Amino acid sequence: MITATPLDLRLVTAYVIGTSSLLLPVESLMSSALLFQMPLLPRETRPPADSETEITPPLRDDLARLRASLAPELAARISSASELARTLQRRRRDEAIPTTIPEVDRLLEGGLPRGRLIEIAARRSTGRFSIALSTVASATSSGDAAAFIDLGDHLDPSALEIAGAELSRVLWIRPRTVKEAVTSAELLIATGFPLVVAELGVHPLPGRRVAEASWVRLARAAEGHGAALLVCSPYPISGTISEAVISGQRGRAAWQGEKKTPRLLTGLSTTLRLEKHRHRKAGDAVMLRLLMKEVIR
Amino acid sequence: MARIASLLVPLFPLAARLRSEPELAGEAVVIVEGNGNAAHVIAASRRARRETICAGMTLPQARALLPKLIARGRDAECERTSQEALLEIAERFSPRIEDAGEGVAHLDVSGMEGLFRDKKETTAEEGPADHETTLARAIIQAAGTAGLPTRVGIAASKLAARIAAELPKSPVIVPPGEESAFLAPLPLTRLLPELAIGDALGRWGIRSIGELARLPEAEVASRLGETGRALHWAARGVDSRPLTPRLPPPEFREGMDLEWPLVSLEPFLFIANAALDRLARRMEVQGFACRRLELLLKLEPDGYDSRGIDLPAPTRDVKTMLTLIRLGLEARTPGAPVAGFSFVAHPDRPRRAQLSLFGSPALSPDKLATTIARLAALIGSDRVGTPVTVDGHAPERFAIVAHDPPPPPELRRRPRRSRGLLAVRVLRPPVPVEVIMRGNELHSVQPLAVRNDSGDGSKRMKIEGSIRVASGPWSLEEGWWCEKPVDRDYWDVELSSGGVYRIYRERGEGGWYVDGMYD
Repeated sequence: MITATPLDLRLVTAYVIGTSSLLLPVESLMSSALLFQMPLLPRETRPPADSETEITPPLRDDLARLRASLAPELAARISSASELARTLQRRRRDEAIPTTIPEVDRLLEGGLPRGRLIEIAARRSTGRFSIALSTVASATSSGDAAAFIDLGDHLDPSALEIAGAELSRVLWIRPRTVKEAVTSAELLIATGFPLVVAELGVHPLPGRRVAEASWVRLARAAEGHGAALLVCSPYPISGTISEAVISGQRGRAAWQGEKKTPRLLTGLSTTLRLEKHRHRKAGDAVMLRLLMKEVIR
Repeated sequence: MARIASLLVPLFPLAARLRSEPELAGEAVVIVEGNGNAAHVIAASRRARRETICAGMTLPQARALLPKLIARGRDAECERTSQEALLEIAERFSPRIEDAGEGVAHLDVSGMEGLFRDKKETTAEEGPADHETTLARAIIQAAGTAGLPTRVGIAASKLAARIAAELPKSPVIVPPGEESAFLAPLPLTRLLPELAIGDALGRWGIRSIGELARLPEAEVASRLGETGRALHWAARGVDSRPLTPRLPPPEFREGMDLEWPLVSLEPFLFIANAALDRLARRMEVQGFACRRLELLLKLEPDGYDSRGIDLPAPTRDVKTMLTLIRLGLEARTPGAPVAGFSFVAHPDRPRRAQLSLFGSPALSPDKLATTIARLAALIGSDRVGTPVTVDGHAPERFAIVAHDPPPPPELRRRPRRSRGLLAVRVLRPPVPVEVIMRGNELHSVQPLAVRNDSGDGSKRMKIEGSIRVASGPWSLEEGWWCEKPVDRDYWDVELSSGGVYRIYRERGEGGWYVDGMYD
């Protein structure tokens, strides 16, 4: 028999987590319980209102009693607020940040994993810069902050905006040397940026090569703070610490028009290859086709 | 009835100095005033007093008793900042405080029974003074934590409270209406330590405050004048002076005069670190953070150097402030030895982030501001910020503004689907090249032997190869009314060596440049 009011349920702060990761509010739980005629909390179990220190233990008991009174499949989907916060935080850390370029996401099985260092080592005109911009656009368009470390000072803000980024969420760093870039990345990761993209420009890189220990420290920082770190460089630079390394073959431009007719650059096609992955067999390759914005329009 | 608490820091010049140099605690230290052999002791630490060193001795006399005695000059800056710190401690307990100077502050503690009632110690029979003892002990503890050993007296008037605070067994609580009884047995010197009128009273045989209070007021006034009448009132515990509340200062100051002028940076930063740490703690107590930091350096033999640092957002991070000061001093040296310094922090409310359960986590504004300040110090303030678009057609145009991100959305959004756009990597500055023409067609690109003007010793990127396909020219003309108009013909070229570039020819000078790479 139902003896509880909606107010009693709100004291328990219970939520039903659906498989679609969205939450059903208390009212839904109430209606479900009514539907299944489940016995709910007796009214006398409400904790005393004047004692703040005694609220937590009775609430925990209430939650346990509520779970025990429900059918197992429904009870398994009930969570307290603290459990919910922990679950969401864990889920958030497990999520990958997609690059939104299907070919790259396929190679990385969904995108850039949080807490890991991913390296794209590719020479000129291989789509590396486009992937970096697309990743920043993906993170900022979903509401996350992103840091873009631009060693060669190559960024055109309008290109980033056209790629779909919210520029106000992007912190643009323009270091002069690789060492400054690595230091900046470490500071930004420690600040809590969920995505840090270190674009190291084109060969030759300015400044001396940094020690491999710096990359190890950087990867550890990313792991500790749950940040996705994307390093784009003209050649492999981060050593053995990276989660995955993607290389790019020399790209071929696609042109409209033939022979003596006027030509128009329509895009670039290149082959990306998974050179290394900690949890998968390397060697997968995908063909990446990038198009000029004029062609898309 | 009003209740006044007096805070008194005994041997204030010494206490102020020990607050700035905590490593001297426990040592035999004296504070001296004057120069050379004329320097005389005005305050001595407990260990020095144990060696019979007392105020009024000359420094050579004191050194004769204890050769390893540490002597420090009286430091007005230290005392001023310590006084401010004392007032800030007082503000924690009462909104109405008065600055009485020289290590003394008065607080209005009326009506605080409910705030400082200690359940364990107070019983119904103990009377109304119990909560005042709890309050006084809390003040003493707070002041001790801030490095200022303080005595507290609570009474109905400022005078009685001040005299109560001077007594050694602190705290001393004078019950309401018993001020005259409290003062009566005390020696007259407590009331008028330096007045010449004391000698006259001594000749009359008046030794205690109570004896003075028992004299007829009119007789005292007729013989000693207005001063005598005021003294007689004071002896009876009557103090008509009201508490004069002070206005909180608009800024926080910390600093000190140095014993020896400093000529190198590291020792100065070591001392500055401690001062900034104290400043940050004081601001933290009041819930403030530093928005602008000013540094005033007192130079040897004379002169001052001042500089200000604007912080990107209010912060209390000492490391960041110290880094900015270091960089500022390295960039512009004072030009003379530093004999003293003073930090002035302009306070502001720190920014707070709203936590979200379902949306993207917001960055802590305090941490973000600290990071941006450190990055700006590391690579330059014009190299950190948010990119913004600029009207126009020149590909190299850009602008960067201070980073001030909006709060994240309440619910996480789906990322925008990529359109698979090919981006251009802008080359800043454009790379000059030589383009070989065959007839009207572009044939090949060769690197131009030019000096690298960047000044960092880095090598310039090399672009060369025969042109497989070229598309163009596309004309770009912009800003013809400016001093440097943009007047170019653009081509997209694919080189046989690999790479797809955007090159242009300046119509005016005829030079060729590569200003972008499709990547």
